[in-house]
Amino acid sequence: MELFDCGFGIADCGIINLMIAEFSFFQSEIRNPKLVNGPTMPKLVIDDREIEVASGTKVIEAAEQLGIMIPRFCYHPALGSVGACRVCAVKFLQGPFKGVQMSCMIEAQDGMVVSTTDEEAVDFRKHVIEWLMLNHPHDCPVCDEGGHCLLQDMTISGGHGTRRFAGNKRTYTDQYLGPLVQHEMNRCIHCYRCSRYYQEYTGYLDLGVMRSANRTYFGRFKDGILESPFSGNLSDICPTGVYTDKPSRFFGRRWDYQRCPTVCINCSLGCHTVISFRYREARRQEARFSEAINGYFICDRGRYGHFYTSLESRPRSALINGRQVAIDEAVQAVHKKLTQIRQDAGSLAVAAVGSSRSSLETLFMLKHLCRVNDWGDPVFFMNQGITAKVQTAVTRLEPELAVSLREVEKADFILVLGADPINEAPMLVLAMRQAQRKGAAIVVLDPRPVSLPLEFIHLPAALDELSVLTANLMKGAVDRTAAASLGERAAESYDAAPDGDWVDETWRELISGVTHDLQNSLQPVIVCGTDIVPHQIPGLAADVALLLRAAQKRAGLFYLLPGANAFGSGLISDREGSFLQIIEGIENGDIKALILAECDPWREFEDRKRLEGALEKLELLIVMDYLNSEAVQKAHIFLPTATLYEADGLFINQEGLVQIAAQAYEGGQPIVQSAGGDHPARIYGAGIPEAEARPAWRMLAQLADKNIEHTNDRAWLADVLPEFASLPSMEDIPDDGVRLQSAANADLRFKGDYASPFDKTKLQDDHLEVILVDWTFGTEELSAYSSCLWELEPEPCATMHTSDAESLDLSDGNRVVIETENGSLEVNLRVAENMASGILLVPRHRRLDWQVMGAGRVRISKNSIRKVG
Amino acid sequence: MYPQILFQNRHPDRVATLDEYRQSGGYKALTDVLKNFAYMDVRQTIVDANLLGRGGAAFPTGMKLMSVAEDAPFPRYIVCNADEMEPGTFKDHVLIHADPHMIIEGMIIAGFGTLAEHGIIFIRPEYERAAGILEREIVVAKEANYLGKNILGSDYSLDIVVHRSAGRYICGEVTAQINALMGKRPNPQQPPPYPTTKGLWGQPTVLSNVETLACLPHIIRNGEQWFKDLALTEAGAGTKIFAVSGKVNRPGCYELPMGVRLSEIIEEHAGGMIAGSEYKACLPGGASTGFLPPEHYDVEMDFQPLRDIGNRLGTGAIMVFDHKTCLVGAALNLIQFFARESCGWCTPCREGLPYIRDLLVRIENGEGEEEYIPMLERMCKHLWSAYCAFAPGAVGPVESLLKHFKGEIREHVSQKQCPFK
Amino acid sequence: MLPDDLKKSLKERIAVVDHPREMVVDIMFAIQEHYGHLTDEGVEETAQLVGMSPLEVEQLATFYTFIYREPVGRYVIHVCDSVVCWMNGFESIKDYLCRKLGIRDGETTPDGLFTLLPVCCVGYCDRSPAILINKKVYGPLTAEKIDEIIEKLRLGIQGFRDWESE
Ligand SMILES: Cc1cc2nc3c(=O)[nH]c(=O)nc-3n(C[C@H](O)[C@H](O)[C@H](O)COP(=O)(O)O)c2cc1C
Ligand code: SF4
Ligand code: FES
Repeated sequence: MELFDCGFGIADCGIINLMIAEFSFFQSEIRNPKLVNGPTMPKLVIDDREIEVASGTKVIEAAEQLGIMIPRFCYHPALGSVGACRVCAVKFLQGPFKGVQMSCMIEAQDGMVVSTTDEEAVDFRKHVIEWLMLNHPHDCPVCDEGGHCLLQDMTISGGHGTRRFAGNKRTYTDQYLGPLVQHEMNRCIHCYRCSRYYQEYTGYLDLGVMRSANRTYFGRFKDGILESPFSGNLSDICPTGVYTDKPSRFFGRRWDYQRCPTVCINCSLGCHTVISFRYREARRQEARFSEAINGYFICDRGRYGHFYTSLESRPRSALINGRQVAIDEAVQAVHKKLTQIRQDAGSLAVAAVGSSRSSLETLFMLKHLCRVNDWGDPVFFMNQGITAKVQTAVTRLEPELAVSLREVEKADFILVLGADPINEAPMLVLAMRQAQRKGAAIVVLDPRPVSLPLEFIHLPAALDELSVLTANLMKGAVDRTAAASLGERAAESYDAAPDGDWVDETWRELISGVTHDLQNSLQPVIVCGTDIVPHQIPGLAADVALLLRAAQKRAGLFYLLPGANAFGSGLISDREGSFLQIIEGIENGDIKALILAECDPWREFEDRKRLEGALEKLELLIVMDYLNSEAVQKAHIFLPTATLYEADGLFINQEGLVQIAAQAYEGGQPIVQSAGGDHPARIYGAGIPEAEARPAWRMLAQLADKNIEHTNDRAWLADVLPEFASLPSMEDIPDDGVRLQSAANADLRFKGDYASPFDKTKLQDDHLEVILVDWTFGTEELSAYSSCLWELEPEPCATMHTSDAESLDLSDGNRVVIETENGSLEVNLRVAENMASGILLVPRHRRLDWQVMGAGRVRISKNSIRKVG
Repeated sequence: MYPQILFQNRHPDRVATLDEYRQSGGYKALTDVLKNFAYMDVRQTIVDANLLGRGGAAFPTGMKLMSVAEDAPFPRYIVCNADEMEPGTFKDHVLIHADPHMIIEGMIIAGFGTLAEHGIIFIRPEYERAAGILEREIVVAKEANYLGKNILGSDYSLDIVVHRSAGRYICGEVTAQINALMGKRPNPQQPPPYPTTKGLWGQPTVLSNVETLACLPHIIRNGEQWFKDLALTEAGAGTKIFAVSGKVNRPGCYELPMGVRLSEIIEEHAGGMIAGSEYKACLPGGASTGFLPPEHYDVEMDFQPLRDIGNRLGTGAIMVFDHKTCLVGAALNLIQFFARESCGWCTPCREGLPYIRDLLVRIENGEGEEEYIPMLERMCKHLWSAYCAFAPGAVGPVESLLKHFKGEIREHVSQKQCPFK
Repeated sequence: MLPDDLKKSLKERIAVVDHPREMVVDIMFAIQEHYGHLTDEGVEETAQLVGMSPLEVEQLATFYTFIYREPVGRYVIHVCDSVVCWMNGFESIKDYLCRKLGIRDGETTPDGLFTLLPVCCVGYCDRSPAILINKKVYGPLTAEKIDEIIEKLRLGIQGFRDWESE
């Protein structure tokens, strides 16, 4: 409390004014605590216009609501105000503050009269710009930020056109920061956004601010790849060109690009982005603000996960037995052959498989196609059991339970149940971190060695312990009366849920501390994974959320699903069907033709040997895709499909929001490929070269003899899911999506069997359970095609608990061979303390032949792991 | 000879021992306070004594203690600011070498005033010897049960540690110092929250200057009226240690009543100007105050009188310049210091100071232009809108140069060289 | 690599404080003392000891004047260049030192004995012009005194004419 700390006692000292005002406020706060709340909606005048704003609104934000853009560099809505750059200065004419003050540092209060155009304030801001430009290299012509540079804008709008400063410029040495972000420190204006974003917002500690005064330097301790998987946001958040997007370096100006709002499909969250094409090549993707989902940022997997769309190796022409044909010819051939097979061998001789990376249209049309032909229902997931879990999530996500990613930020307690956020849905971590920064307790119940850039309590329970521990936690926080208020079944389920006695001693103490936090929370959120968890967990998560609500908490539920459109797939999946059944059908000769619509079993299915054996027996393999997958190589007939960016498409994210990804460009081969880098192409033709690819659903519609006149006619979706009849039409879907309502089914509440005891001794035998897991980089299918991300992938490794390693005489870093029934896998071993014992974690890594592991819950004998080399 | 309060045990060649300090009445105040005072009373006494902080900001120390709310959380901290990096200032240093227990006792009393459990002395690396003395005497005080658990049999416990800084001027600023103590970059932090609500490790923290704290035992022992009566000015209170340097015959530290006239300090106590030198100006309170021109040669050296003439008492470090010294050069040197020491957080300070330095370099080198003068004026004014008090302080000398010695700048410009070279 | 006993003693010092981070400057000093300057390795070791990232330590190491991130001589001579010493001719003191040692500001003598660095006001303005050598102050200085000081330091005698020496 340094009222006179500037101590100068001179009336026009801005700081003094600020401090006096703050101090008197502070005094009243001590003496009269009631005053603190003050008026809820302060009213103030900015540039002669009155506005009422929510209390706590900063003056810079109030002005923005009036449409007045006060210059800013250090202020950022996500990072808050720190008053460093001083360019947001305005003049306070009346009210508790007087004189030139920073509008980002002062909260709007009743009676304030503020001028942004006051001469003194304007002159001050001009000086700030001049100061910032003293050392700037003026290298706009070769700077990738040029054209969308805040500093450029401010310099122009501030009228700073003549250099008065005659001194030398300071120069810095740049650092290598990895393949994604280019460093150019000379352009720095020291707004501290990067270090604040990187350390405070994302929680990583390898980039920051060094030295002092006008030598201040932003970077790393040493050259090296940035550790944060959110590093790409640096290029968005830097108001000038210190951090620029490396893969798109020197490729185009902002205005050269065809830019289009879209969504990210590299995980189930559906973050908002803007994709940029130039010369038919997607080079750059940026975060796009979304109120409900990702806020201002996206993760690096999403940002750089789009390169598959412009790859030279992307198959762009239809093929019949390897022979290039016109696409219509290929579609007709498919139609003819399928009809033939159906005639010869019956309707069940054809099976179809899709995947959750497809648009809703493709999923629905595939379902429609199967239906009209009486084929079996399409399968969308290749892993055993996933379909059921996804369906549980889809049906149990009652609208009042569902919380958005941004709402996760507001939680005061987060229970992560069977999920590994940084690897499964990176942006969730940023939301959790913001919650934690505001004081939320974070508890992760998961057997994996979960690592997060935030403080959390990890309970590395075995898979089979998850339900018992969760139920126990719930019982500690919810009393029976509350449970009974939800009805008899809830009460029964409550009674049947295991309590303290069930819990292993090692957990008891940990659980009780956590229970206490949950009990005291007002807004808990349960984050529930659907990938590795036992089947009853997603249902249990929903029940617990309901019970917490019954206990007067604004509890929320947040599922993670396997794939961008997993929700959509779950909506229309047949619970009983599975890919394994299809394999069996092929093996025993029932199934003769297989349609693979934008999916690659060679990559996704856990039993490669069996897959290959089966598929050899197939009469007809039809593959539709935009990736150059192994399936494409094996196809008898191949149909090229359009990517997310080449056609409008709907995606439903994990919280049930239907979102539209609009067509960004026409499609076709990038000029650099069609013209060998020359521009324009030297080959003359009527159309865009290699632009045959069509949305998969259009071709599926052709196969189903469904006549759809207009490409944007989506009325037929309602045939598959009636709710679509009541949704706004394609063009009218709001930016933040529409939440689906009809999928949820309250009848399914409290039906799970959560009490099933498990045999602990089973965990300690001489077997290890194999759990296939995802990593941030290297396992997700689409981003695996982005070569710029390869460098970020850690060397793939299998992971086991220290005690298991000891029992096998293995240690961290050993090279091991794992023998399975299907073959063997050679891999590096990682040993971790912070995970459950009795399990072996294997990433579904693109550089690992993990498909030898076998399908289902696989247990391997410890003897089958041995050290090599 | 004026009464020597803070310097009563000062020896030219050694540090006062605990016994000496005790013989002079040391630790009586502490005994008294722990026996007879409620901690709230301690605060009131200090408020009544009108003790203003000696670290340069002149904040009322009593009010600072008062602002630690009764129900504020524990632990609470008391920090003694021995950073003393303001150029020209060396009083805290002398005080530590003279009588360390006076500071320790002052800290304990201030600590008790807020029921602080932990005390920290933040000291600059150049004062390594002083840090050693303090550490040694803290152990001595602990052995005598003035520190540690249940001090002198009371319920009150306090420990004190010495924290060595690695040297940067900004670390002297309260909030920057708190950051430094937490192993963070020593950038200042604009309140709220105020350190007394949320300071070190998020806990209530009182931070005071060495000299300020040293006053406390005497106030408690002799009463607030006595303390106020020490000053020569009506509104002032206490004595002040003036660190005098520059072109005087006897540079050094002098404890004199608050409000003593500048002329008296220079002529009587500091032995007058050195032979052949005439008084031209002085910086009355460290590098972040303004040049005081001859017309104020008789000013009363207290906070208010200096404020009245647009200057500051600051730390009371008087740097005397003579008629042969170029004040443009002096201002340039000072700006050079501030530009180098800026923490780099905010634009005006980080970039504006080097700009001002550049203009002054040019003027001093005879490359100045007339238009630099209004540029300097405006820029100095704008530096008041920096983030913390560093920048307004930094331009103090330049502003006063422009106000009182504009002629000298013009001479540089018109003669195209420094007239003093 | 830090010797084990040093590491152990540092760990012990950290163990007794409430927040390891508060020790970071002390640890940097101690490690600097060991290596002669705070090496990259020293930054990493500091980070490990106090539970910070190397970058976090670097953020501080590069902020402070008395943490040397580059090699320095056995004696680091800091010449005060603030206003009182300026008034009293620090520049001639510095020039004299430069000539005598054959180095410029910021350089180290080839024998690795002396490094010359500027420093702001060291708080000995009454003994100006002043310099600081390995945290010990010398002043008021003249050319003769400098000769004497350097001579003694070359012979390994420290603490000469230290102010208020006991
Ligand atoms: C840039 C700057 C540097 C400061 N340096 C010091 C210092 O070295 N020593 C000091 O006691 N106060 C210094 N102060 C003042 C402190 O912020 C603070 O006001 C003072 O230490 C509080 O103690 P007091 O109330 O006893 O004066 C500085 C202030 C600023 C703005
Ligand atoms: S004025 Fe700004 S840059 Fe200067 S010390 Fe204060 S915060 Fe740091
Ligand atoms: S935006 Fe307000 S100071 Fe930077």
